[in-house]
Amino acid sequence: MGQGTADRVAPTPLVATSRQRRLISADRLFRAIAYSAAALIMVIAVIFVIALFIPALPAITKFGLGFFVSRNWDPVRIEFGALPAIYGTLVTSAIALVIAFPIGMGAALFLAEEARLRFLRGPLSFAIELLAGIPSVVIGLWAFFILTPLMRDNVDPFLNHTLGFLPFFQGTASGYGFLTAGVVLAIMVLPIMIALSRDVIRAVPQALREASLALGATNAETIWSVVLPYARVGITGAVLLSLGRALGETIAVTMVIGNRPEISGSLFSAGYTLPSVIANEFTEAVGNVYLGALFYLGLVLVVITVVVNVLARLLTWRFSGSEPTVA
Amino acid sequence: MKRALIALFGVATALAACGGNTGATNPSTGGSSIPTPPAASLTGAGATFPQPFYAAAFFAYNKRFSQVTVNYQAVGSGAGIQQLTKKTVDFGASDVPLKSSEADAMGGSDKVVQLAGTLGTESLAYNLQGVSDGQLKLTPETIAAIFLGKVKKWNDPALKGDNANVSLPDQDIRVVHRSDGSGTTYIFTDYLSSVSPDWSSKVGKGKSVSWPVGQGASGNAAVATTIKQTPGAIGYVELAYVLQTSMAQARLKNKDGNFVLPSAAGATAAAKEFASASPSQFSIVNAPGKDSAPISGYSWLMLYKDQADKTKGTATVDLFYWLVTDGQQYAGNLHYAKLPANMVSYDIAVLKDVMSGGATLLNVPS
Repeated sequence: MGQGTADRVAPTPLVATSRQRRLISADRLFRAIAYSAAALIMVIAVIFVIALFIPALPAITKFGLGFFVSRNWDPVRIEFGALPAIYGTLVTSAIALVIAFPIGMGAALFLAEEARLRFLRGPLSFAIELLAGIPSVVIGLWAFFILTPLMRDNVDPFLNHTLGFLPFFQGTASGYGFLTAGVVLAIMVLPIMIALSRDVIRAVPQALREASLALGATNAETIWSVVLPYARVGITGAVLLSLGRALGETIAVTMVIGNRPEISGSLFSAGYTLPSVIANEFTEAVGNVYLGALFYLGLVLVVITVVVNVLARLLTWRFSGSEPTVA
Repeated sequence: MKRALIALFGVATALAACGGNTGATNPSTGGSSIPTPPAASLTGAGATFPQPFYAAAFFAYNKRFSQVTVNYQAVGSGAGIQQLTKKTVDFGASDVPLKSSEADAMGGSDKVVQLAGTLGTESLAYNLQGVSDGQLKLTPETIAAIFLGKVKKWNDPALKGDNANVSLPDQDIRVVHRSDGSGTTYIFTDYLSSVSPDWSSKVGKGKSVSWPVGQGASGNAAVATTIKQTPGAIGYVELAYVLQTSMAQARLKNKDGNFVLPSAAGATAAAKEFASASPSQFSIVNAPGKDSAPISGYSWLMLYKDQADKTKGTATVDLFYWLVTDGQQYAGNLHYAKLPANMVSYDIAVLKDVMSGGATLLNVPS
């Protein structure tokens, strides 16, 4: 925009009027502000990583890369490893996406494409916004008091009964563990996933839909072979933003995951996530190595988030051949 | 939160009983020896465990001496120690006295004064259908075996032996522990380490440990609630939470062989047994004595021996003098235990070491 004004001003008279001079200097000022704002973001990001790295150093020098493969989390002997927390973070986020993706797509398609039952759109959109606005600690409270007994007495035994031949659904359930945390995360990422996917699907040009229908395709065929492929990049972005939220969610997960640094194939088992360990232990973490290990976990979380984002961007570039517009 | 409310009620009742007499001397509490502090605004930070008691007591102190306001931030012992090290607070509080490395960061252990501010005890709460409050009896050996994961079922012979008249179900034992670092965990694992060599060598003691079994919940309240809503659960919870939420708690076998229901009086009885308790020998778990509650512990206050600001320093030692003497009356309502006489005299003795410009700040008849 600043550039545009300058272009328009430049070719007119050789001697600039005072108004034009004012416009040019306003333009320069605007550019300076924009550049420094952009630079500030870079500086904040760099400072942030350095601020994590320096306090993490005692743990990095002591444990090195072994931190990523060690299963130990023993504050008494000052031996720390991140693997159980990394595992828990990835597993709970994966469960959340597996549950939220089909529901989210269904709801988004209903909101964007379905012509009948239009009167439901308003209430449904309102419900989604309501869900998005609930603070995570409140969702955690609900999960702690209502969801965990429900999972223990109904959902987990049912899964064990019907799908018990899979290793994921074996063992006795206490209600606290990966699966419950995954369900809570699914509830928390649904609003983002639905709202973004709905907007992306709505942005598919109407002409494409009409062309498809004119060729004799049914509504379902149009959605499947025209709308969804066109919206794929945007939907990937929506899933990624959801994943970002799931990876970093702390309080609600801490309340239901059981907080146990252990790797277990059974989704009924108690586990731990990176943010939960940090939130639980930093207040009483005494000593440079212990505190350093928590900062190291923070670094690992940042790295995971960055890797996920980079992978996703590469994926969307491959599929679309251009830069993603969403995310 | 609940405790804080109860604390306020307790204070309100106590004040009502005083008939609004908030003068400098208060005959009803024998307060003539309590020094009148200079005007000051004090800030402290540290442990969460004593917070409800400190909040109630400091509130009452401010009612009596309105020129002194105390702001106590329950940010956790570790954070409290760090803030005192950086001198951003006037005093710190921790459930475990300073380690030598922490004292060194403050300039050496001879630069810091540590005194016991209050005393608490822990219960083992459980959720077993048909087994009511106080019915279950636990020995130190079975407690260690349960938390080591060796006893897995409620009808294990190890449990049946002491509970012949209780019908124990064929149910999994679900161990619940604290997931956040806490003094409560330190005292409990200190207890397990002292009664079980196996625990001592495999796990050890600390504010956070590597638990052999079970699941974690953050804070006393969450541990209590998790136990309440999980059939077959057992966990260690601060006494106050057990009493306020009317959970079932076990009778614990103490060193003298008596099965006692943990209580504030039991904690004081246990503390009395350790006449030479001090910051360097602070452990009072598994105490002898017939009434002793076995899982008890002090909570500590700390301040610099040399106070740069004489006014603030005087206000702090005056406050602490009151806290360990008259202030102890606010402990009972909140299920904290009163400090035993030996610890009160220890506290007063170390408060007299606090100086400013070479002069002792505490001015009380000895």
